[in-house]
Amino acid sequence: MGKEIEEQDVALRIKALTKHFGGVMAVYGVDMEIAQGDIRAIIGPNGAGKTTLFNLITGDLSKNQGRVHFRGQDISRMPPYKIYRCGISRTFQITSIFLRLTPLENVQTALLSHHRRHYNIFTPAKSIYRQEALDILERVSLKEQVLKPSSIMSHGDQRRLELAIALVSEPQLLMLDEPTAGMAPQERRETMELVARIGEEEGLTILFTEHDMDVVFAVSKRITVMHQGRIIFEGKPQEVRANREVQRVYLGEDG
Amino acid sequence: MQQKKHKAGHLILLIIILLTVLLLLPHIIPFFFILVATEIAILALFAAAFNLLLGSGGMLSFGHAAYFALGAYGSALLFKKAGVPMVLTVAAGPLFAAAGALLFGFFIVRLTTVYFAMLSLAFAQIVYTIIFKWYGFTGGDNGLLGIWPTSFLKSPVAYYYFTMAVVGLSVLALYAIINSPFGYALKAIRENPRRARFIGVNVKRHQHMAFVLSGFFSGIAGSLFAFFNGSVFPDYAFFNKSFEPLIVVIMGGTQFFLGPLVGAVGYKLLETFISGRWPVYWPLFMGSIVITVILVSPQGFMGFLERLLWGRKLRSRT
Repeated sequence: MGKEIEEQDVALRIKALTKHFGGVMAVYGVDMEIAQGDIRAIIGPNGAGKTTLFNLITGDLSKNQGRVHFRGQDISRMPPYKIYRCGISRTFQITSIFLRLTPLENVQTALLSHHRRHYNIFTPAKSIYRQEALDILERVSLKEQVLKPSSIMSHGDQRRLELAIALVSEPQLLMLDEPTAGMAPQERRETMELVARIGEEEGLTILFTEHDMDVVFAVSKRITVMHQGRIIFEGKPQEVRANREVQRVYLGEDG
Repeated sequence: MQQKKHKAGHLILLIIILLTVLLLLPHIIPFFFILVATEIAILALFAAAFNLLLGSGGMLSFGHAAYFALGAYGSALLFKKAGVPMVLTVAAGPLFAAAGALLFGFFIVRLTTVYFAMLSLAFAQIVYTIIFKWYGFTGGDNGLLGIWPTSFLKSPVAYYYFTMAVVGLSVLALYAIINSPFGYALKAIRENPRRARFIGVNVKRHQHMAFVLSGFFSGIAGSLFAFFNGSVFPDYAFFNKSFEPLIVVIMGGTQFFLGPLVGAVGYKLLETFISGRWPVYWPLFMGSIVITVILVSPQGFMGFLERLLWGRKLRSRT
């Protein structure tokens, strides 16, 4: 399955990853290798295990079995805050930002933590990394409303703010869990173009789940298809499109 | 920029007026109210320390009396048993509270919501029981008497100034903490712990640190109260005492830095007037006030003021 990748080019390697909730196998024996610089989509019907796989990689869920290596380092047993420090950033399926803080404070807090200055109780934080935060917000086109509470922003803007928070650490691997969920079609395209552009500029490896097939086929370099907790296919977009099995379980019988 | 300077000017003017009022207050008001004002300041500090957890950290403690009592007993025991000078014990007593918060907090922050609250209450009741039963050391339910301030702070006016100075500095420190990088990360945890973890924050350690800081400042309040009262009793650690700062911050508004301070003034004045006139009915009034605040203005007095004056969001938030 998939072509062999040279060892030093592997960003993320997953081996025999398994997670069950009670009797339900959410993720079962998943093996996966993601090359440096890949833009990888994980697709599959609802309940296929995409989000569970995400949460296993990022340490939000504990694993029943299996290993995760990131750039040669075993991160299987690390808590999320340490995995973040290894160079992995993520967004969540349900928009996760600091609602009662302003977008500026959201990004500033991420910067303070990233630079390990978040234990300082003596200096006022207001002006620390202010300019850097504004620059990052500008990159995701959120310059206009940086001082209003994030809770009153539109859904799309909140999603972009979360992207900004995730970009703060200049990660090597960016994981996006349904980055365009709940957006209008126009907004979806813009957001994914933004992600792809930033990925290109920074040489990021991107791993994302998505339901919108237009988005998936537009930006991904490779696609992994999951069904009932297992990987059933992996390949380039055109290979996925042509695969019978994928058509049957995912795109519909006549897809 | 011009507007910013303008605002800063207003703020400085306001602080000068406030300081002048506090300075002149003991010479204007009747003697009895000097005591009330001192008590208000102590309660305000206790509530502000408590609100570092609730307002900024989103952690509800039902057991903060433990740290108030540890500060009070720490100072009182050093003063009585070790003969440490009074002013030094006010500095050292709160360290006992911080040590208690370090120990208990380690377990408490591992839980969330109602479990967090119940475990904090359980630890406080343990502290209460130890103080209550250990006659040989803590005096049990007889308490420790004769905990009076050193000679130059003996007069109520002098102790008023001393309290105001200590409380003022402590409240400034709490303000600095809330607006520091540490405070930003604490608020981030309050808003979204999952997200906070994935910006690299060690959530439990951060909460633990906040718990210790909150315990330390609660301990300062307890220590000040010991010398104000001239004695310490196990009641300081009882759960009634734990609910006091909670009621104060609900009255004042948990999401405003001034909430605990304003709440303390309101709470203590009401208590003084009502229990002076109808001693038995204070809990009835208190209950009615809490119900009214929660129904009419869940953001407390400060939230009410904000809507009344500005109709928009204020900046001085926790």
